[in-house]
Amino acid sequence: MSPFEKKMNCKDVAPLLVFYVCDEVCEDERKSIETHLTNCKACSEQLAEEKEFHSTLVSAPQAANELDASGILLSQCRSELEEALDDLHAPPLQEHWRPFGWLRRWMALRPVWSGALLVLVGVLAGTQVVPWLQQNPNTTGQAVRVRARQPLTPDQLSNMVVSGLTPSPGSDSLTVQLQVSAEQPMVLTGRVDDANMRQVLTYVVENSERFDAGVRLDCLDALKAAAGDQQVRAALLSAARKDQNPAVRLKALETLRDAAGEDDVRQTLLDALEHDSNPGVRVEAVNLLVNSLNGEAPGADTAQAPEGSVVAPTPAPGTQGDEEIDHVVKVLQELQRRDPSRYVRLRSAAALRQIGPREVQ
Amino acid sequence: MQLPRWAFALADENGCSGSTNAALASVNSLPNLDERALLAEAQAGNRAAFEELVRRFDRDVLRLALNLMKRPEDARDVYQEAFLKVYRNLHRFRFECSFYTWLYRIVTNVCLDHLRRRQARPEDQAPEPNPGHHEEGVTDFFERQREHRPTLDPERSMMGLEIKARIARAMERLSPRERIVFEMKHYQGLKLRAIGDALGTTEETVKNSLFRATRKLRNELGGLR
Repeated sequence: MSPFEKKMNCKDVAPLLVFYVCDEVCEDERKSIETHLTNCKACSEQLAEEKEFHSTLVSAPQAANELDASGILLSQCRSELEEALDDLHAPPLQEHWRPFGWLRRWMALRPVWSGALLVLVGVLAGTQVVPWLQQNPNTTGQAVRVRARQPLTPDQLSNMVVSGLTPSPGSDSLTVQLQVSAEQPMVLTGRVDDANMRQVLTYVVENSERFDAGVRLDCLDALKAAAGDQQVRAALLSAARKDQNPAVRLKALETLRDAAGEDDVRQTLLDALEHDSNPGVRVEAVNLLVNSLNGEAPGADTAQAPEGSVVAPTPAPGTQGDEEIDHVVKVLQELQRRDPSRYVRLRSAAALRQIGPREVQ
Repeated sequence: MQLPRWAFALADENGCSGSTNAALASVNSLPNLDERALLAEAQAGNRAAFEELVRRFDRDVLRLALNLMKRPEDARDVYQEAFLKVYRNLHRFRFECSFYTWLYRIVTNVCLDHLRRRQARPEDQAPEPNPGHHEEGVTDFFERQREHRPTLDPERSMMGLEIKARIARAMERLSPRERIVFEMKHYQGLKLRAIGDALGTTEETVKNSLFRATRKLRNELGGLR
């Protein structure tokens, strides 16, 4: 074996000795190494060192032998693993759902801070939330805002409770909002000349026993703009005759001011003069009658006439039939003589003077 | 050196050993179920089957962890973390390799993570055994009991402790991967191919790691010869 061959072989073999010692060389390598070792003293010595080193390492005390010689650590590990597996398998804590449970725990641990917090919340609610709610009554979500597109059914009308009526903000004077609670609270918004809205308003006016006088007054105010409508006219006349509240009757007469010259209205005014129990209503009826006969605003001239004196006014020429005027004069004269209210008697006398001298039949 | 049970099985898996089957079967005289059936049961959610699997292999896992980490608490962490990972991912095991290989892939990964974290924190290095002041450094009650056994040869013990301390210091110089390869080869008795499977790398790479580790140790431990 030439020195060159031996040197080459040593270079090849040296790195393999590490694996030869621990039996990690293939069969061909093993044979080559063993063949080389038989002839190479240096490599044999290196192999001996390698074996000794390997033996020393392998036989050295291992940490595992010392640290868990008794097997206690292994038992601990097993136990801990079982606990961890139990935790993995444990169903989620079945607590009752407690909203703001964290807050309650926090408050339970800090009573002073909790008291201060509650006071602060109360102050904020009182100073901020309540005014805000008052400014935004519709944000409470209790009422449904609907357009009066569909007529209310008779059932709805009969069960309806009207809590208020206001002019619709930002709209013309003909548009109103009606706060209604029937089966559910709702706000009706619509123009007075809308048939469905008129239906509700006239229903309120005609059924005085069911609705508050203030609501009826508001409805009359709203219906004033639609007094020319037959349905509305009938409701207004009905209210002027039958409503139990004199203020409402008075209001109904006022809404009929522009139509006072028409027969049905005049008849209602005469009936009011003769039968209405409230002197204010009778005075208003006098005024409207005079207005309708003279075409001028009544009440401007309320000159005092001697009580009990009967004036025979002369009817204004041309505009009214004699029979109608005679009837009005006769009623006024009767009122002047017999009305229990002194003011009504005086007003009637003044009205007769305004109508003009006329020979009483 | 006594080889761990799963080392035999792993060797058998890799076709390098056929003589240990009988011994393995006798050691693993587990109630009624072979490993595959046990695995299937565990995958189906059978907790007892999983615990049986753990008992088959956990001694060697803990041994590996102790040798690598050198601290019982760290080894306990590795043990717990590794087996919980196995438990959580058991449904992903498709029998494409042996369970031992799959298990050790997880264990070695956990060990590598711990070793790398420890390397990143120099203050967290494993304590070096101090033969001269052994009692002071030992906190484990059972270890103290063992050292006081009357049958132990004091002289041999001192020599062993000194060598162990030097080896421990030298092992600290190795990279985490080199340490694991060295440990698995020389103390766990695994073939390089099996180590490659466990580490998810080639046998050649493992061979290089073992060679570098041996060279480093020889340089550090020259006086041992």
